[in-house]
Amino acid sequence: MYIGAVSAEPSIHMLPTKGVEAILKVTSKLAAPFDLYTMLHEVVEAAKYVLDAESGSVWLYQSDTDELVMEVAENIPPVRLPMGKGLVGSAAATRQIINVPDCYADPRFNQDIDLQTKTKTRCMLTLPLVDPDKDMLVGVMQVLNKRQGVFVDEDIVLAHALSAQCVVALQRVQMVEARLEAERMRNELTMARDVQFSTLPSFFPQVDGYDVFGLFKPEGLAGGDTFDLVAIDQGIFILMGDATGHGIAPALSATQMQSMLRVAFRLGADLDDAFRHVNNQLLEDLPDDMFVTAFVGLLNEKSHTVRFHSGGQGPILHYRASSDDCEIHPPTSFPLAALPLDTSRPSKTLDMQPGDILAVLSDGTFEFRNREGEEFGIDRVAALIGQHRERSAEDMATAILAEVERFANGAPQEDDITIVIVKREQDHRAGRKFERSYKSLQPIFDFTAGFFKRTNLDPPMNIPVDFVIEELFTNMVKYSTESQADIRIDLRRDGDGIHVTLTDYDVEPFDPTVAPEVAVDLPAEQRVPGGLGIHLVRKLVDSVEYEYADRCSILKFTKKPSGETAV
Amino acid sequence: MLDIQIGEGGEVVISGRLDASQCAQAQTLLDTQGGVVTMDCAGLEYISSAGLGVLLKTQKRLMGAGGKLRLVKVNSHLQDIFRYSGFDQILEIEAGS
Repeated sequence: MYIGAVSAEPSIHMLPTKGVEAILKVTSKLAAPFDLYTMLHEVVEAAKYVLDAESGSVWLYQSDTDELVMEVAENIPPVRLPMGKGLVGSAAATRQIINVPDCYADPRFNQDIDLQTKTKTRCMLTLPLVDPDKDMLVGVMQVLNKRQGVFVDEDIVLAHALSAQCVVALQRVQMVEARLEAERMRNELTMARDVQFSTLPSFFPQVDGYDVFGLFKPEGLAGGDTFDLVAIDQGIFILMGDATGHGIAPALSATQMQSMLRVAFRLGADLDDAFRHVNNQLLEDLPDDMFVTAFVGLLNEKSHTVRFHSGGQGPILHYRASSDDCEIHPPTSFPLAALPLDTSRPSKTLDMQPGDILAVLSDGTFEFRNREGEEFGIDRVAALIGQHRERSAEDMATAILAEVERFANGAPQEDDITIVIVKREQDHRAGRKFERSYKSLQPIFDFTAGFFKRTNLDPPMNIPVDFVIEELFTNMVKYSTESQADIRIDLRRDGDGIHVTLTDYDVEPFDPTVAPEVAVDLPAEQRVPGGLGIHLVRKLVDSVEYEYADRCSILKFTKKPSGETAV
Repeated sequence: MLDIQIGEGGEVVISGRLDASQCAQAQTLLDTQGGVVTMDCAGLEYISSAGLGVLLKTQKRLMGAGGKLRLVKVNSHLQDIFRYSGFDQILEIEAGS
């Protein structure tokens, strides 16, 4: 028996020429981008070729279990060996090459494998695969039955040189596989996030006299927050939920709760029953230490009330336009899935006066800590709502998020942030953003019709107003093709008249009001297309102005009832 | 960091920050307790939603056997968290001085 110390570095000069050629040949092959199984097979093939052996195997060392695992070997099923056991375990434990010229004479040789594979192992060379740089065991390589005679000193030198190539190849493959696994995990998380995002509203309901908006900014790839804003038979369903923790599991719980509530409402449940039954079902479904805090509300835009249950979701901010102050409400009960609800508790009702704002935010906003460990807090949120009360629900939510980020000053987000804003317009005002598309025209007409009705403006005036808005809006869609931003329309009643403002964001200046007058009295064949729209706009409204500031094109027009319409 | 142990009067004494990373430690100790368990929160500075989950799980287990979890000497900042999360309706909470 020969025992060669791995640490004794054999010189390249000791290698026989044939051996050097053989090693160079397999080295180029081992550099290929194989998967682990193919690489193990290639390493065995290389060893057989270089050492002129009949058969071979490679065992990989698993540090967590301190075992050697043969993932693939010719004619032998996968086997696990504890460190130190058998020839493979010994070579791994001692990190020494073991040359056994006569296996049946060596007590460490396991004859069972020969019996299983119906082969006869005569001689065997077992060598540890060690990364010398990190002094780290990668595995063990074993070759059996030299075709002629037994393994000799020259083979050991060759095997040692080969093992260095195998170590590099195997480590490279393992690293690539680990990267791929991480990539797969990431892809699955991304898919989970896509599913989660798909359950969030992709557009917000158009509610006469109201402006509603929600945003969700997860921490990491998936979060435990959810929200919903959707028109249902019972009113406008407002949901803001937050499941314990963040990541996939709470994301599923939050999404589950949201779909349960939607189904309950679709089946005609009232707010109290829906809340109670979903609580009790989640209690059955979720683990004992999981719960979901949720604001579940219904807005009635006719009675201007928001009736809600809040399971552990607080504070709930109600900005009062009349007092320019935020009322802060605690939740109505404990979180969903915490305890059973045998009977419904009474819901709470908020009356929404003109200019009032309901803001429901997840604790990821209030508890956001800056670098100094200070929390963003309720007061900052309340102040921002007051400060941005005249702006749209979307602008307000975005402004809060921007302020949180400014406050953080680089401190990382540790929890999901969800912001849901429900704003009752001032009686004489309304504003909304519309997608930059002709598809927005119908929603725009619904918007103006709702405003005319709500503010008792003279209905015939609605037609020229719609006409002018359409003309100006489609102009923006046509001529500002580089911008992706929505176009905002603000309406304001002034006496018996109306002021309309269209804001086109992130565009080059384009003033349609300076388009040349069209000679409308020319016969049809002499007229050139275009320009008629703006001509009619001038005729239809009492004034039209263009401004350009901060890359925004702003078109304002005024319509008074005295002006006779030409349409 | 979180410190949780049994005090001289048999009550659970908790101090520090009960965040997601410290929940297992707290749960392990609370799992050994039965009956009416009093938790001295004078030194508790912070609790996350994961920490609330630990208290909830414990309360459910204790209530199932006729017991309960009482929190005493809870500071005002934590009282807000318990109130805004609705946990004041699940646990008996006594304010600190």
